[in-house]
Amino acid sequence: MFELLFKYPASAFSKGQLVLLGAWPVWTLVLAIAAGAAALGWLVWRRRLVLGPLGRAASLWVLQAAFLALLLLMLWRPALSIATLKPQQNIVGVLIDDSKSMAIAENGATRRDQAAKALDSGLLQSLKDRFQVRLYRVGDGAARMEKTEQLNAAAPVTRLSDALRQVAAESSNLPVGAFVLLTDGADNSGGVDPETIATLRQHRIPVHTVGFGFEALSHDVELSDLQLPPRTLADSRVLAQVAIRQSGFAGQSVRLTLRDSGKALASQSVVLGSDGAEQIVSVLFNAGPAGVRNLEASIEPLQGEANASNNRLTRVMDVDGAKPRVLYIEGEPRWEFKFIRRAIDEDKSLKLASILRTTQNKIYRQGVESENELAQGFPTKPEELFAFQGLIIGSVEANWFTNSQQELIKEFADRRGGGVLFLGGRFGLSDGGYNQPPFTEMLPVDLPSGKNTYHPQSAATVELTQAGRDSLLTRLIDNPDANVERWKKLPYLMNWQDPGSPKKGALTLVEMSPGGSTRKLPALITENYGHGRTAVFATSGSWRWQMLQPLADQTHEIFWQQMLRWLVSGSPGRLVLTTSKSLLADQQRVHLRAEVRDKLYETASDAQVEAHILGPDGLSERVALRPDPRERGVYTADWDAPKPGSYLTEAIARRGDEELGRDVLTFRREDGVAENFHTEQNRELLEKLSSQTGGRYYRPGEVKQLANEIEYSESGITVRETRDLWNMPVVFLLALALRASEWVLRRRWGVI
Amino acid sequence: MRLPKVVLLVSAILTILGALYAQKPFREYPAVEYENFPLPPDWRESTEFTRARLKCMDIGTRWGPRGYNWTIDYPRSDRHLLAGIRRLTRIHTRSVEQVVEIDDPAEIYNWPFLYAVEVGHWELSDEQAKRLRDYLLHGGFLMVDDFHGTREWEIFMSGMSRIFPERPVVDLSNQDPIFHVLYDLDERFQVPGAQYLYRGRTYEQDGYEAKWRGIYDDNGRLMVAICHNMDLGDAWEWSDDPRYPEKFASLAYRIAVNYTIYAMTH
Repeated sequence: MFELLFKYPASAFSKGQLVLLGAWPVWTLVLAIAAGAAALGWLVWRRRLVLGPLGRAASLWVLQAAFLALLLLMLWRPALSIATLKPQQNIVGVLIDDSKSMAIAENGATRRDQAAKALDSGLLQSLKDRFQVRLYRVGDGAARMEKTEQLNAAAPVTRLSDALRQVAAESSNLPVGAFVLLTDGADNSGGVDPETIATLRQHRIPVHTVGFGFEALSHDVELSDLQLPPRTLADSRVLAQVAIRQSGFAGQSVRLTLRDSGKALASQSVVLGSDGAEQIVSVLFNAGPAGVRNLEASIEPLQGEANASNNRLTRVMDVDGAKPRVLYIEGEPRWEFKFIRRAIDEDKSLKLASILRTTQNKIYRQGVESENELAQGFPTKPEELFAFQGLIIGSVEANWFTNSQQELIKEFADRRGGGVLFLGGRFGLSDGGYNQPPFTEMLPVDLPSGKNTYHPQSAATVELTQAGRDSLLTRLIDNPDANVERWKKLPYLMNWQDPGSPKKGALTLVEMSPGGSTRKLPALITENYGHGRTAVFATSGSWRWQMLQPLADQTHEIFWQQMLRWLVSGSPGRLVLTTSKSLLADQQRVHLRAEVRDKLYETASDAQVEAHILGPDGLSERVALRPDPRERGVYTADWDAPKPGSYLTEAIARRGDEELGRDVLTFRREDGVAENFHTEQNRELLEKLSSQTGGRYYRPGEVKQLANEIEYSESGITVRETRDLWNMPVVFLLALALRASEWVLRRRWGVI
Repeated sequence: MRLPKVVLLVSAILTILGALYAQKPFREYPAVEYENFPLPPDWRESTEFTRARLKCMDIGTRWGPRGYNWTIDYPRSDRHLLAGIRRLTRIHTRSVEQVVEIDDPAEIYNWPFLYAVEVGHWELSDEQAKRLRDYLLHGGFLMVDDFHGTREWEIFMSGMSRIFPERPVVDLSNQDPIFHVLYDLDERFQVPGAQYLYRGRTYEQDGYEAKWRGIYDDNGRLMVAICHNMDLGDAWEWSDDPRYPEKFASLAYRIAVNYTIYAMTH
């Protein structure tokens, strides 16, 4: 329609430039229009008594002036100056998605067939009439083909960025007029990356996209993501977050199950949310013993579901067999110390070493690994303290530590990345003098400035805050609502201490009400500090949770085990090996990243780092990791996993003969899964790709215009043309409409 | 709006009452040996620790009327010892004991260290035995003292076997942490009661040799410390009397300090 009225397609106007070809300058046109409008106004004014109300005269003047202006504009010869591709001298790359998702049938035809039909029923020929056309099939790259019959919709993956970059590179010395991409946009590499957009813009290649497939599947449930920590301690409580999208099944109840190598770990009922919206479901499970967990989240296919292959997702998680160590320094014998020790004794994944000041000049050590360890008391050297992953500071005066030990405690959290927990007590928090630097900086609270904040033999009840409700640290039982009620029913704390106010960014997980009052004080506060984390538990009276509850009750044990696990969680070793993806879905390349530190936890940029990879069929390969010039102490390597299966990687960092650290990582390659997900048309991606490169998005029914519109391009070999606009049909229609409007008005008013 | 306020008020009152009644305040009881024993200045201090003396009405009538034998050496012995612990260690304790009734269903759990005397004459009911077992498995610690000879041992064991029918009583080795947690107590000897002052012998009945025994839990932690054929209670009680030999009093204090710190660390 647009082209019928305006003679040229809309893209011609958006890309071209309007000019006036008349001999006289533009200002004369403006002057002529102004003079003509004034003359017409004078004439109308003279006849105002005949015309009646002033509004009638004004209307007639506007119509006559507009008509005159239109005529004058046409006399100045308006035209469109535009660059067009020279016929048969430019290449147009036609890229057709040949991945598995194109085999999905909709309205009786697969997406592949729809694309082939669109090309074969005129588009390809009209392109060939104007340009040299190259056909490509797109999967994890682009491959030349001669005819659409070669498409088989079998590529296991779609990587549009790789394909576009490859075709752009192949034709970098050729005059490329445009790319035409026929696809459903179901890209498996996370979209078209900025580098690809930059490359296309640099070569000035517009990408015109033609989208196939429904933008939302009518009846489908998809597990779109499964988030898990890459590693955890044995027997830890782990929260898996499963993202579910569905259409057509809103309100229906389904069962979500989490399995490890086929064995069910957790299962829960989920009521599906609204169509198209992403729904996050949390599933709590026990990590079990040390080893690799091949976890699969799944929902049984529903009746009438369009795609059942996207109802399950797999991930790999390392359950660490290492036993992190926590150092507990206590300034006086007290029951809290005993019962914390007993709770941790039950946890086979943690080790607790302690220093207890029994008298003014004596200490009692427990959980030490050698006769000499901690024999001199609290560590004075970084390498001694940094051997631990967590630190608990009980009722011990701040000034019992030397200045350098105080700095060491700060560095323990800040630089080493350990967790530090401060307990309430007679010599804890403000009463112990911790409201002085450097503790003020690292504590998650602003402590009261005075003393006498500790209240022994004064009961306090506890309850969870909203943050505590959501936290795994305070999860005594799996159900969050029941957990909130469980906390309310805990026996009262034996004592409490005013911890002051939480800092911005700190989380208050538990609040307490002293003496049964309605006044609430923070009881458990956590915060990330530096590379590590700090917490305050403003009481030493939780031991009553053990003594005053039934023998079988595990509340006290669970709380303290989770508290210490939180404390050491994320406390890095001297070598931390990571990868961006633990599951390579139809991918080969894995990016290994090792962060290396020395005994003082300073970044080590002079290490030799090697990874030993063990894989399927006895594969054993050594890969050297190279220093990353952008990050000090970071070493990286890219490696291609040759076969599907699980890969175990152990990286070791050395400095000369000294071993700095080692770490183990598991990843898995799975083929034939990526194309099962996000199978609806990703129109947003295609529109963005087109608009960022100067192209346009087309529906399949609009492709007939494509060959015409593609002609107007700045890339390739072009010629600049000037095309008259005075003879556009819309001009004559407008002139006619103006005159007809005046005639109709005059007839109505009887003032002919 | 009214209902939540009422609910809040009632729960606040219940909590306060619960706190008050769950842990009872200090109270003195009539004793067979002492009346109006002076209170130390710190008797009202709110402290982390004090030792609880088990009030067991069914202990026999060895020294006084039935129902009072649990008060043997009380309160002089307790207060001498607690003052010593306060002075010698960093344990924050008041210098007065806490008497805990075995028949109170909840009170015992507020005091993780229990001291009992005259257990060579105890007659525990099923409920009392069950409560002591539960208390000990929760993490409580029981120290028994001042019973002598074969006959009293058998009576003690008849009660103890009802508490822990499945757990053996074992002799503590010198390597046990309880003898090293503060003082190294490899050299131990029989600590006599006050009868030593006029009889000149360290034993009573046929209890010629001091026995340092105990019962362990499944994790190798001592739950019950049994001081048989000795009278540590008398040693603390008479430690301020120049006639009572210092070496006995000194060992008794060191034993008590070690046992207390052990109970607070294991």
